Amino acid sequence: MPPELTHDERLTAFEARIARGEKIEPGDWMPDDYRRQLIRMISQHAHSEIVGMLPEGAWIEHAPSLRRKLILIAKVQDEAGHGQYLYHAAESLGAERQDLIDALLAGKAKYSNIFNYPTLNWADVGMIGWLVDGAAIKNQTMLTGASYGPYSRAMVRICAEETFHYKQGKEMITLYAQGTPHQRRMAQDALDRWWWPSLMMFGPPDADSTNSTTLMRWGIKLKSNDALRQEFIDEIVPELHAAGLCIPDPDLRYDENSGHWLTGPIDWDEFWRVIKGNGPMNRERLRARRTAHDDGLWVREAMAAYASRSSVIGKRSTVSGQR
Amino acid sequence: MNRLLKTPITATLTKHILITDYRTPTTDHQNMDTQWPRWEVFKQDRPGKPFEAVGTVHAPDAEMALLNARDVFVRRPECHTLWVAPEAAVLRLTAQELAGRQDWPDEPATEGSEEMAYHVFLRQSHRRSMVAVTLVGQVLAASSADAMHQAVAQYGASDTVVWWVVPDSALIRSNDDDIASMFEPALEKTYRDQTTYRGRIFEGRRRGGTVKEVPGA
Repeated sequence: MPPELTHDERLTAFEARIARGEKIEPGDWMPDDYRRQLIRMISQHAHSEIVGMLPEGAWIEHAPSLRRKLILIAKVQDEAGHGQYLYHAAESLGAERQDLIDALLAGKAKYSNIFNYPTLNWADVGMIGWLVDGAAIKNQTMLTGASYGPYSRAMVRICAEETFHYKQGKEMITLYAQGTPHQRRMAQDALDRWWWPSLMMFGPPDADSTNSTTLMRWGIKLKSNDALRQEFIDEIVPELHAAGLCIPDPDLRYDENSGHWLTGPIDWDEFWRVIKGNGPMNRERLRARRTAHDDGLWVREAMAAYASRSSVIGKRSTVSGQR
Repeated sequence: MNRLLKTPITATLTKHILITDYRTPTTDHQNMDTQWPRWEVFKQDRPGKPFEAVGTVHAPDAEMALLNARDVFVRRPECHTLWVAPEAAVLRLTAQELAGRQDWPDEPATEGSEEMAYHVFLRQSHRRSMVAVTLVGQVLAASSADAMHQAVAQYGASDTVVWWVVPDSALIRSNDDDIASMFEPALEKTYRDQTTYRGRIFEGRRRGGTVKEVPGA
């Protein structure tokens, strides 16, 4: 972009590019606030993938069959990888990975509220796949269209992999919902506890979503929180009914006029309470993450020691051309 | 899993890793608790397919970079060869930067330098994709800037959005010996593929709801 342009001219050109459906790439001009909002949003998303390993990871050694155990390990490994894709996208904007991870470990970073709820029975693992990953995929599918190239690409890669998370959960819960009375009770109990937190995953109502206007203006978010939430409800309600499960909302009804499923009021006081650190598992999640980080210190030290030793050896044999 | 044990990955990789100064970025390892140098990862899905830039990993050395690249980008069976290169070795240019460059394309080649092979990667549309840039060819050049100059001249069709040039000497590669231990195990992990779950729910119904799996109490 020619250097003699004013900030307003650059901004106009930038917004015209987004309006044309172009992706903004690292190196391209972007407003400071676009960069800031993206780093905030992408790093929160990355932290959510990392913290999201904890509630499910706790169940790996209690899986009821080898097949379920393999599936759960694979899913948790995917979440770790997805966290890496997203940290990479944030780094492409100039963020330092160390700063992001330090903020998470210090308890200063936000991550998805849903992971501050406990996993109390094995069916929670299936319900998380079906509802939580189902809701995440809705959001992430929208974000594949985000105007920032590296974020969009991370989302395409994640969505391609994450569909398996949703399907294995739906499969598990559907089987339990037709199973023994005990299995049916487990599935229903999981739905009773995860239904409302899943709806809250789309974020506060549009009127209270402070960042949404900027995010939508610059093509980072393409749909509002409430619009996405409604899409999710319209898809998931018939699926849960078909599985024979009872949605814990006495006010839930189908509105013939609009063609939408309408829920009762969402308890946003609970949402804000949990997001401010007073949910059932906030402290436990941070404790587990810090412990994992501290327990891995000797591995990082060993890798660094090996690398400095081999780089000295490498310098001596630079011209050896061993292939 | 057995193959993994029979062929230790580190042993396979070490023998063809050639470390030069810029392949192992100089860092103070004592201060690298959560951040090691960044490496760009290039993945080839099948023989004959072009290498694609899929993202980055952090690693203290080339060997770990290759192993981390496998763990982060190849959890599914779609890889034949991986390359990694220190991020600093990659020169990038966007169409917007090119348009704003006053002295382009007259940047002179570095005098007296020996010519080296550089790989040219391009992004040629704004369409949704999981790949940053794709390998399109090679140029011989005396410097990264010279290579970029040639890349723009030779591969500068009007639809190019991003160019990368990477010196061949900066690449660390997996080789055919690594396929069995690094990439083939993913073939058996069919439960990672969403299509595995197609119809299973309905099979469950036909079985009259008999579920063999017994959940933990």
